[in-house]
Amino acid sequence: MKTAFKLDAHPRRPRPLLSEPPAGYFDKLPTQIMARLPQAETQQATGWNWLRFLSPALRTSLASVAVLGGFAASFYMSGSAPLVPATAPTAALDAVPRTELVGYLLTSGAQVESSDLAILTAGHPGIAKGFLQVSEDELNEALDAQPSDDATYL
Amino acid sequence: MEDHEILTKFQDPASRNLAFNQLVRKYQSKVYWHVRKMVVDHDDADDLTQDVFVKVWKHLENFRQDAQLFTWIYRIATNECLNFLSSKRRKFLLPLTDVGAELAAKIEADPAIAGDEIELKLQKAILRLPDKQRLVFNLRYYDEMPYEQMAEVTGTSVGALKASYHHAVKKVEEYVTRNTDE
Repeated sequence: MKTAFKLDAHPRRPRPLLSEPPAGYFDKLPTQIMARLPQAETQQATGWNWLRFLSPALRTSLASVAVLGGFAASFYMSGSAPLVPATAPTAALDAVPRTELVGYLLTSGAQVESSDLAILTAGHPGIAKGFLQVSEDELNEALDAQPSDDATYL
Repeated sequence: MEDHEILTKFQDPASRNLAFNQLVRKYQSKVYWHVRKMVVDHDDADDLTQDVFVKVWKHLENFRQDAQLFTWIYRIATNECLNFLSSKRRKFLLPLTDVGAELAAKIEADPAIAGDEIELKLQKAILRLPDKQRLVFNLRYYDEMPYEQMAEVTGTSVGALKASYHHAVKKVEEYVTRNTDE
């Protein structure tokens, strides 16, 4: 007859007879665990900790305002951007003395067409008075001498 | 370092990492062996132990001190083990006994137990128990944990735990008796 096994009679061990973990395992384990912790997430969460105190509805509203604000800011920024390149050449030309400009136009071989004058005088009626020292009669005489198709601009 | 000191330091972001490192060093061995008894294999136990502490880190801020810190950590470890074993079964569509047989084969291959026939039979008998009953057996027989503490860990009543342990011991004794040569 078999002898009945009794657990109480068996020597009690603190744990089953299993092989020990590798040497130094418990020395390395804390480092491995610390390396796996979501640090960045926690730091970010700490920075935005105050959000946790708001109600879900308020948090949703805040998020909507932030998104709309972002759109508004990007719209404003994109609208004002073209003004910068438009003003820059004008400002650069204003810095050049007028006598240098006239000298350049007279010596560089650049042709100033009557159509150029027509466009400029349309915007600034007194623009020629600074450098064109002629009387009204002389002007009228010159205009009469112009071919009819050029005269339509003046 | 005492548990309350660890918890106080953990609340302060400046000393949080240091406090958690102390917590890991204090409980790593207990958690590892608790897990190892359930999954047998060292590599599985290593993965699960790390997972347990990562979960502890994530939820420690919300830990209410109406339970002991260690009981709470044990509960997380227990859930991780049970989920691991049930997912293993689901993954390979294995019945309960096959996972027990796989764990028994691992124990048999372990050089630490070689030559100790009674101990090997005892371990095989324990591994034949259903996971939750095996957990109860381990907590009571190996860890000698009081039933009240076991109730906190498992979320089961003291009466049910006593009955479960009593049945587990009977099953183990019967198996070893049946499989022992005269």
